[in-house]
Amino acid sequence: MTAVPFDPELAAALTVISQNMPSSLTPEMIPLLRQGMSGLAPAEDLTLGGIVDLTDVDLGDGVSVVVCRPVAAPTPAPVVYWIHGGGMIMGDHRVGLADPLAWAVELGLVVVSVDYRLAPEHPDPAPVEDCYRGLVWLAENAAELGVDPARIVVAGGSAGGGLAAGTALLARDRGGPGLLGQLLIYPMLDERNDTVSSHQMSGLGIWDHTSNETGWSALLGDRRGGPDVSIYASPSRAADLSGLPPAFVDVGSAETFRDEDVAYATAIWQAGGQAELHVWPGGFHGFDVMVPQAALSQRAKQARLDWLRRLLGH
Amino acid sequence: MRELVGRLAALDPDASAAVQVIAYFDRLAEGRAGLEATVRGAAVLAGCAARLVDEERAVFLRVLADGHRDDHPSDDDPGWPRVRSGEVELVLEKPGPPSPVDLMVLERGVALARDVLDRTRGRAPDPALVELVVDASAGETARLHAAKRLRLGERARAIALPDGVVLVEPDGPARHPLGGVRAGVGPVVPVGRLPKSYADARVALRFADDVLGPTVVRFDDLGGLAAVAAAIGPATAPAPDVVTLGGLPAWALETLHAVVTSTSLRTAATHLTLHHSTLVDRLGRAEQLLGWEVRGPEGRFRLQLAFALRRLHAHPQ
Repeated sequence: MTAVPFDPELAAALTVISQNMPSSLTPEMIPLLRQGMSGLAPAEDLTLGGIVDLTDVDLGDGVSVVVCRPVAAPTPAPVVYWIHGGGMIMGDHRVGLADPLAWAVELGLVVVSVDYRLAPEHPDPAPVEDCYRGLVWLAENAAELGVDPARIVVAGGSAGGGLAAGTALLARDRGGPGLLGQLLIYPMLDERNDTVSSHQMSGLGIWDHTSNETGWSALLGDRRGGPDVSIYASPSRAADLSGLPPAFVDVGSAETFRDEDVAYATAIWQAGGQAELHVWPGGFHGFDVMVPQAALSQRAKQARLDWLRRLLGH
Repeated sequence: MRELVGRLAALDPDASAAVQVIAYFDRLAEGRAGLEATVRGAAVLAGCAARLVDEERAVFLRVLADGHRDDHPSDDDPGWPRVRSGEVELVLEKPGPPSPVDLMVLERGVALARDVLDRTRGRAPDPALVELVVDASAGETARLHAAKRLRLGERARAIALPDGVVLVEPDGPARHPLGGVRAGVGPVVPVGRLPKSYADARVALRFADDVLGPTVVRFDDLGGLAAVAAAIGPATAPAPDVVTLGGLPAWALETLHAVVTSTSLRTAATHLTLHHSTLVDRLGRAEQLLGWEVRGPEGRFRLQLAFALRRLHAHPQ
């Protein structure tokens, strides 16, 4: 199968990145990856030089959140409930917040980022249930937090995008907090790992077929690919995508998740819902985070910000 | 990315950052990346704004360290690391001396930028070909051949700059940014007649003035004045009005020139950033020095002609 070529600028950056981040990640690499990620990402200043106030809240049972409020944000403010990525197996709620914090400052909103428990130590349904619990807590404590419970947007990238989609489905099915929108950045949605794009980009780019299998197997173990996988763990399995908040979905054309993400947006439309879909040509998984300077990354970031701005009626 | 390069060098001395820079630009070339991506590569890898200048092709492009395009430049600092390949110059906007990585970024970046420019905008014109195409003493076949190699199409114009510098460009929108130095623009002609366009451009150049203006003069706009040029050579004695102008102080020259090239005194005042009444006062004193009134049609024409003659005497060739 012919692979989709990478955008030239991203391809050049990938020659550098791939020295540190192999395309295929296997289970025995998980401990090293966790170490590597904390070593790779220098501690971010989440206060952005003092213009964002941070509050850590422990929700118990291994779940916590950090509330990030720009000092200039109004009360009540709209809120982005952020779910970090990392393939279900790595990352935490304080890493990769640069973009959500940029939205917060630009649009005057609060970011609440959740630290959910990770697989394989905490397999499904722990991660998505943790995320949902954090969302319910957020809605119940809206007044105290100075946020508007009618303007909650769930958002996340990669595994965080998949968990955001799962959290939105849980909120719908349990009559939970009403959501204004769901911002799904190259979301990890389909544990079957058997689309054309998942095979097409094998051994290439970031988070290939093997890596995807590693992540999903850590989350679901032997249940992966079988009949006992919930739609909250693997939203692509949902037969009914009606009654969901407006979605933003974007994905690179040169990554594992391309086909499942396009299909998810399509299924939302087919169910009579609203979705904005962007397929970034030649983008590999996480291109905008790893190569933020590239022209394509700038466009992707702008598209998300524009969608949020319209959603919030700014 | 830059962090990655730096970290890599720290982690693995064999995979030096310079090697990564080479791999980066090689891969850009392989993917036939554009000019902006090339300059962005230099900016991101060097961790500062980078600018690319090709005056011959009228290219100016600047990318900030965060990857955003920003063509509004700060002043160029001669201390910044830079490298030139032909007419193409790549500059890193950081204090020197450059690090080994900076030097590699400059070398690889300018080479790729030049390739991209050659591919997308054609090679920079060979000065010998340009001289040939406007050379009346060269055979027509040679000139037409040169015009073809310069991709001038059917019709083109010549532009004369000081010190015998010649530019040629095909009919259509201007390709060369003019205004920085004196320039005379010749008429558009069939390419076989470019020597004539060049001769006319040189006549127009004689009317260009970089102190009072205009800096750029088009032969097509000269009308009958073009014929006057032929009458003024190096040995021609200046007319009395020209001598008078030559004896005026700068403020008077500026005032008269602004008035004679503006549609109204109010416009002239705006141009000189003077109050209207101040201008009227100055003009009165200038007219006294000049010896004639310039507010009527005849006096105005006499002054315009004097200014034109003055420029011809200043540029006798």
